[in-house]
Amino acid sequence: MRTQRAYSVELTIPDNEAYTALVTLVRLGIVCRRLERADVWVFEVEEARAEDLEAHVRTIETIFNPNKHVLRALGEPHPRPGEVWIGERDEDAGQPRPGAVREIQIAGRLLEGVYGVRRYKGWRLWESEGETVSPAVLANAVETLLCNSAFQVAIR
Amino acid sequence: MPPRVAVPVFPGSNSEEETVRACLAVGLHATLVHWSAGAKALRGFDGYVLPGGFAYEDRIRAGAIAAHDGMMDSVVAEAQRGALVLGICNGAQILVESGLVPGTGPARRPTAAFAPNSPGGRFVCRHVYVKLSISPDRCAITTNLRADEIIPMWAAHGEGRLAAGRQELGRLQRAGHIAFRYCDRFGNLSAEATPNGSPLGAAALTNKDGNVLAIMPHAERDAWTYQQRDGTVRLDARGDAAKMLAPAGGIRIFAGLARALGVKTRALGVMK
Repeated sequence: MRTQRAYSVELTIPDNEAYTALVTLVRLGIVCRRLERADVWVFEVEEARAEDLEAHVRTIETIFNPNKHVLRALGEPHPRPGEVWIGERDEDAGQPRPGAVREIQIAGRLLEGVYGVRRYKGWRLWESEGETVSPAVLANAVETLLCNSAFQVAIR
Repeated sequence: MPPRVAVPVFPGSNSEEETVRACLAVGLHATLVHWSAGAKALRGFDGYVLPGGFAYEDRIRAGAIAAHDGMMDSVVAEAQRGALVLGICNGAQILVESGLVPGTGPARRPTAAFAPNSPGGRFVCRHVYVKLSISPDRCAITTNLRADEIIPMWAAHGEGRLAAGRQELGRLQRAGHIAFRYCDRFGNLSAEATPNGSPLGAAALTNKDGNVLAIMPHAERDAWTYQQRDGTVRLDARGDAAKMLAPAGGIRIFAGLARALGVKTRALGVMK
């Protein structure tokens, strides 16, 4: 039996990319006060190994650096309100990508029992403190700036 | 007064000095225009050459932030009025993200992308050849070239694979948007000659009107005899400093831009 596990990896230091994206969105007329960015990793893993996966992922330096990242296990492998995950079309095929697996192997950590890895860039937009943007505003931000549909997919 | 071209510089651009040097060599009056100068500073030029690099650190995606920068408002407006625009590497990525090429959708709504290289998304730095794959008069900047002309350049990018939906890809091919394709030094097209997995070996795109050209490999890095890699041209110039420093190879792209802007100099004659 296989199951999915998803983790977000966020910077604990100021995120220049998120800042630049926010400034650009505001310039484009999209009402957004705050923007959070995260690397989102979705693993397809054997159920028997799922509980150990997070500990293993924390040892992969190319994914998680404890000096500047915080890693969170996501309850569901789906975006939260106000959030979009941007991935490459190839990566959305649901099949293990040799490139992603190789990246883990290069880091010297073989994750046994992992059948597939998908990587997304997660963006969460906030209208105010405690309130994320509406689905319409999020859709506008995705179509205007965050996603190039020629090669990317947006999961909302 | 020679035609005036602007070379816009975003935070993270590179090769802008080499680009200016190549423009000057073909008789253009080239000016660097930094992003801090504001969008107005880019108005009124006869042409624009967007250099390579990593504008805005490739945040979000390569070219995405720069494509929405106020500087590009001017470039997009001038291109839509018919001004000639050449984008090299990151400049090409910015042109695609701004929707100027292939130009099959509205501005700032890209219908294609220069996406991460395949396989593995690795950065490549490799000497390449590209072959003109459209009729020379299809694009204003290539009218000086011969049909099927082969030009040496340097590919140096992590995101140079043309990406578009299957239908769009077919449309780009049929409508003559794919201006150059990777080949070997003899002009043979192959997967081996393509450094980034680009479908159809696509290396450059032009728009419907042929006044915008987005090319991934760096013409300005193979623009002088001493930079020639295959040796034949360079060997002939050995011992002759003037010949060694003479323009060659990729300078043909800049010569095409100059000719399209009306430059008639002897210098263009030797750039064959």
